[in-house]
Amino acid sequence: MSSQKLKSAAVFAGLILLSLLCLGLNVFTGGSGLSVREALDGLFSEGTTAWNIMWKIRVPRALAALLLGGALALSGYLLQTFFHNPIAGPFVLGVSSGAKLTVALLMITAAGAGLGLTSAAMIGAAFIGSMASLGLVLLVSRRVGRVSTLVVCGVMIGYICSAVTDFAVTFADDADIVNLRSWSMGSFSGTDMDSVAVMAAVVPAAAVCVFLLSKPIGAYRLGESYARSSGVRVGLLRAAMITLSGLLAACVTAFAGPISFVGIAAPHITGAMLGTSKPITLIPACFLGGGIFCSVCDLIARTAFSPTELGISAVTAVFGAPVVLAIMLKRKRGEAL
Amino acid sequence: MTDILISAKGLSAGYGAPVVTDVDFTVKGGEILVFIGPNGGGKSTLLRTLAGELKKLGGKVALCGADGDRLSPRERAKKLSVLLTDRPRTDRMTCREVAETGRYPYTGCFGLLSPEDKKAVDEAMELVGAAGLADRDFSAVSDGQRQRVMLARAICQEPEIMLLDEPTSYLDIHHKLIFLEVLQRLAAEKGVAVILSMHELELAAKIAGQILCIKNGRVFRAGTPGEVFTEPVLRELFDLPESLYRRYINV
Repeated sequence: MSSQKLKSAAVFAGLILLSLLCLGLNVFTGGSGLSVREALDGLFSEGTTAWNIMWKIRVPRALAALLLGGALALSGYLLQTFFHNPIAGPFVLGVSSGAKLTVALLMITAAGAGLGLTSAAMIGAAFIGSMASLGLVLLVSRRVGRVSTLVVCGVMIGYICSAVTDFAVTFADDADIVNLRSWSMGSFSGTDMDSVAVMAAVVPAAAVCVFLLSKPIGAYRLGESYARSSGVRVGLLRAAMITLSGLLAACVTAFAGPISFVGIAAPHITGAMLGTSKPITLIPACFLGGGIFCSVCDLIARTAFSPTELGISAVTAVFGAPVVLAIMLKRKRGEAL
Repeated sequence: MTDILISAKGLSAGYGAPVVTDVDFTVKGGEILVFIGPNGGGKSTLLRTLAGELKKLGGKVALCGADGDRLSPRERAKKLSVLLTDRPRTDRMTCREVAETGRYPYTGCFGLLSPEDKKAVDEAMELVGAAGLADRDFSAVSDGQRQRVMLARAICQEPEIMLLDEPTSYLDIHHKLIFLEVLQRLAAEKGVAVILSMHELELAAKIAGQILCIKNGRVFRAGTPGEVFTEPVLRELFDLPESLYRRYINV
């Protein structure tokens, strides 16, 4: 018991240190040739070029990677808990693609009408898209209990949404489209401090709500029937999990486009490190772990082939997909998927 | 001890369409009621309905003198615990953690266990002989051990009523007997009303105060083991030809 507590404490200390380290690395490295010294000075001397690079490009981008990575991990964690399936996640189930589609449609319509878009409108549109995809997946899961069917269905929804998005993007003609195209591939570039302010309001609030569900989620780990028999209001819990998961995924997609695999890999890796699935420790660890995962991937995306930037999903897939394979191979020994 | 803790009157249960109809019984504190009957006869449906897991289709269920429909999930959980046939698939949960979920209705909003909660879990684990499993991963222990941990979970919920659906089916004879012994002690010492379904007739006869025979969605016969365990009743209940009955049961 106490050895588990020690382990958890050590993992948390490590995760917090790593988060800070990632933040530091992302803020103090980059393609613009600033030395660490200049970068540090730039943080405090308003109006200089260095100040602009730091506060308009690097700091918001680094913060976005941490916050949105955490959001993705929690969104994935909720879906895995909901479906009792370790390879469920917002990207695999088509939730991110659903959000991508509605946001792209909104962007194109707004550009056509010459209107600007607020962050709230983007999140709202993404939320509608993510919930629509989730609704479809749920409808299918009610018909077919098999988890593999569920994942196939999610992947198909993802393809359909992406196809429609590409179609819309191809036929929209506007200067904004350049922006739209890089966004639809998934990217943290172009994040500004105003967007970060919105993320910093929405994501932590949703994360706190998830944390407050620790107790019922803990009982839900034994399955619906046992959860109900311990006094959990299962219907309410399920609705809350789905809504929060949709909201978190929507927030990520609205700002950074669809990002693959973080939602599966981060909860799995943090769970393995902690050695427990107790929600009260796993939920905050998951949030930190997701942030670190995304930050590291973004660091690689920015710097590996600088000045050319990689799509973030290309990097997250390289590190995340093997995790999914590992989970599936591990489960094959125990029981069928 | 002699209060009626759970009763059903004209109860019908099922998934949309009724599977079992017109069930009546009463169980007092300290009493054990056993459901027997062929597979698919409606025993599980009945137990799930009594547990509040399924909505009942008609009739009345009273739990500890209260109308079963009016209890909040939490109040219900304090009065009644279950052991179902679902075998939970857990991920990174120790046996102790599984048992601890039985304290759910008693803990605060973060589910942290108080010293009393921990004591209740310890005692329950001890009682079922699972104390040594506490730190083992639930998904890595044997079926029999898992079943004992699930029983500890149901016990530390400190219910007045326990419902168990074929709890002994996957156990070897040693663990079957120990399991039933624990149920009898719970009934005798703590005054718990126990309802369980089982297929082992010879064991049912030993532990039951009352037997309810369920066949084709109806109560086929009810009574004490002495009244029910007779050749005509059992042969008709399980559709046994005379030769089979004579050869295997009436030894």
